[in-house]
Amino acid sequence: MIFIVLLIGIIFLVGLVVAFYVIGGYNNLVSFRNRFKNAYAQIDVQLKRRYDLIPNLVETAKGYLKHERGTLEAVIAARNVASNASIKAAQNPGDATAMKELTGAESVLTGTLGRLMAVAEAYPDLKANQEMMQLMEELTSTENKVAFARQAYNDAVMVYNTTRETFPTNFIANTFNFAAAEMFVIDKPEEKQAPKVSF
Amino acid sequence: MPQLDFFAREESARRHTKLLELYFALAIIGTVLVTYLIFAFLFAARGGNPYDPKFLLVVSVGTLGVIIGASLFKTAQLASGGSVVAEMLGGHLVNANTTDLDERKLLDVVEEMSIASGTPVPHVYILPDEPGINAFAAGHSTKDMVVCATRGCLRHLTRDELQGVIGHEFSHILNGDMKLNLRLMGLVFGLVCLTVLGRILLRTRGRKNPLPLIGLVLLVAGAIGVFFGKLIKSAVSRQREFLADASSVQFTRNPDGLANALKKVGGCGSRLEDANAEDASHLFFANGLSESIAGMFSTHPPLEQRIRALDPAWDGKYISVNVRAVREIQSIPARMARPPQPGDLLGGRIPGAAAVPVSVIGAALLQTGAPTQRHLDYAADWRSKLPPALDAAAREPMSAVALIYALLLSRDDTLRATQLEQLSQQTDPGICQQTAALFTSVLKLESRARLPLAALTMSALRRLSPAQYKQFNKNIRYIIESDQQIELFEYTLQKIVLRQLEPTFVPPKHPIIQFYVIKPLVPDCVTLLSALAYAGQTEPAQIDAAFRQGAGKLNIPGLALASPADCSLAKVDASLERLNQGAPQIKKILLNACAETVAAAGVIQENEAELLRAIADTLDCPIPPLLQV
Repeated sequence: MIFIVLLIGIIFLVGLVVAFYVIGGYNNLVSFRNRFKNAYAQIDVQLKRRYDLIPNLVETAKGYLKHERGTLEAVIAARNVASNASIKAAQNPGDATAMKELTGAESVLTGTLGRLMAVAEAYPDLKANQEMMQLMEELTSTENKVAFARQAYNDAVMVYNTTRETFPTNFIANTFNFAAAEMFVIDKPEEKQAPKVSF
Repeated sequence: MPQLDFFAREESARRHTKLLELYFALAIIGTVLVTYLIFAFLFAARGGNPYDPKFLLVVSVGTLGVIIGASLFKTAQLASGGSVVAEMLGGHLVNANTTDLDERKLLDVVEEMSIASGTPVPHVYILPDEPGINAFAAGHSTKDMVVCATRGCLRHLTRDELQGVIGHEFSHILNGDMKLNLRLMGLVFGLVCLTVLGRILLRTRGRKNPLPLIGLVLLVAGAIGVFFGKLIKSAVSRQREFLADASSVQFTRNPDGLANALKKVGGCGSRLEDANAEDASHLFFANGLSESIAGMFSTHPPLEQRIRALDPAWDGKYISVNVRAVREIQSIPARMARPPQPGDLLGGRIPGAAAVPVSVIGAALLQTGAPTQRHLDYAADWRSKLPPALDAAAREPMSAVALIYALLLSRDDTLRATQLEQLSQQTDPGICQQTAALFTSVLKLESRARLPLAALTMSALRRLSPAQYKQFNKNIRYIIESDQQIELFEYTLQKIVLRQLEPTFVPPKHPIIQFYVIKPLVPDCVTLLSALAYAGQTEPAQIDAAFRQGAGKLNIPGLALASPADCSLAKVDASLERLNQGAPQIKKILLNACAETVAAAGVIQENEAELLRAIADTLDCPIPPLLQV
């Protein structure tokens, strides 16, 4: 008789421990997910600032680069695409498709900006313009801030993903549909170019 | 009206917590008894022996196990800080560099109040989906505070009214209600779990299944337990709400702000739509649930009573709020502050004055945890005079890091060059450049501005990832250690920054009070007072006199000044750790002694006043900016 009671008691206790473990794991996942979403919000702030600076930059450069309309338009177009992608990503931070779209759009934008800078090299008047210098300075500073915020975001995503994939939390993650989060990786367009081989 | 000082209030809050736990223990015992009785009745009806000790054991241990287990679990969950509560209710963290005008307004109000009361800037959350007007504060200590407001609050309240509401929340923090409230949450959750378990068991199926019956019993018994639990929760919480209202008025000296906010709550409602609101209902500013019948369970005093206490001439009409009104984009007017007169600020700014009465510091200490409207004015004025470049730098995570480095760099040029060189290898070149640039601005800052500036950087610094924080930590320690002539102030500044940041990255350790009498802590007090004496004076005679004056306050005979080697920074560090485990009354005596040592020369320099505030912060005692009485 006592044996049965003890058995029930032990099963009950074990069940309680498992339940609390599951609840603890679930709460951890929720907490890490919130953390990377908050970290994304910081990137969003910096990206918005960048997208706001670019039209000003183009306006200032327009007067000097009268024959480089194509480059300027490419910059504006890339900026608009990136801006839209970032709005979508902000609504669903860490979602794989949204993030990939954003990283793609961002690398295109960086590429076009790079081309604009290369073109502007040939126009010393433009480079000496006060407003242009200030805008360039702000743009560089914003890019630094994006990089810093990106680092924080990627760290947070790594922690979340690791928790999600390790045993035994992976069972909890799968049961409650915790999707994997995508990191924010900027690919540098220069690195994509195939090496030129000359004989 | 809070007649007691901060330390007495802390003591009183601790006693209340113990009393509360006693009541809950009684409620739990009552619940277990009821469960046993019902089971015994049913058991006897089926022909079993209800007085069988094994039966009693099973029932009581089972019930107790569920209640206590759930309680402990919830308490452990809440131990990681107030952010858990905010996120549970769907809150979003507000960025320090946000461009949303509503969020900016909230942040500005919260930052001003933190600077005015000398507490660290809390995490600020908003509940964007809640249309009602409500707010709450949660957390275990001033280091892991969270303040949260609904979107309705931001949309419908003016700046003054918002300040009244946030002042109410800060009063909860400064009155020590937070620990009490989180404890309540844990305990009630334990009782609620019983009913949840009962409900689950009730739904099981099967022939001759005893489980639904067990479930029913648990449900009934649990409901009775919850009844008593809520009764206790409500009674405690109602009393605290009146106290917080009164403290808020003392803080802002503007009863209309809070009164109008309450009137708008009457017009618009403060109900929260989130399902989890029940758990946290006692934390809120106004009633977050629908009005319950008897009013016994209401966690807040009736709205009318609160408004009349603030505005006796009230005509009984609530301010109706147009919930659908589109808010006009308006610029946020800075708080109309009366700028501090030259005589207001302590330390070297009083033209022609030779000596400052020592009683001034004593009186200023009385304002620990009880800031007034003059402090608010001071904070607003300080904010408006801060160079915008520094203000902007404090709000971005990257430049906030650079700003802290700049505040800690050495004044000596060659040493600084070495430090920057070493930093450039450990961290981002962008940060290094900014550090060098910010250093020139920081050099021009008055010493009274350094602590508030460091406080402003907290929100941005909390956005660092754990890896970035580790690097930051390492770099700060390097800067401090590489400077042989490190001053006590830089050391305490570094300690404050790291202490306030740590709870975000590491589960906070709550110092358990281990010392109730001052005797075991006397060597540590001597170390601290000696370090202060050496920091403030240069002549050996004066150093000795300063120490003696401070030591006199400890009422322990035969204390001698320690040698400089014995009050090195490492020793001061260790002493502060131990002193932090003393009861509030001990900290009060110690701070009075420190104040005497600092004021010994008769003229208090600005940096000495700031040093005192910095030490008080490491002891978790929020001293507002020292103003002339």
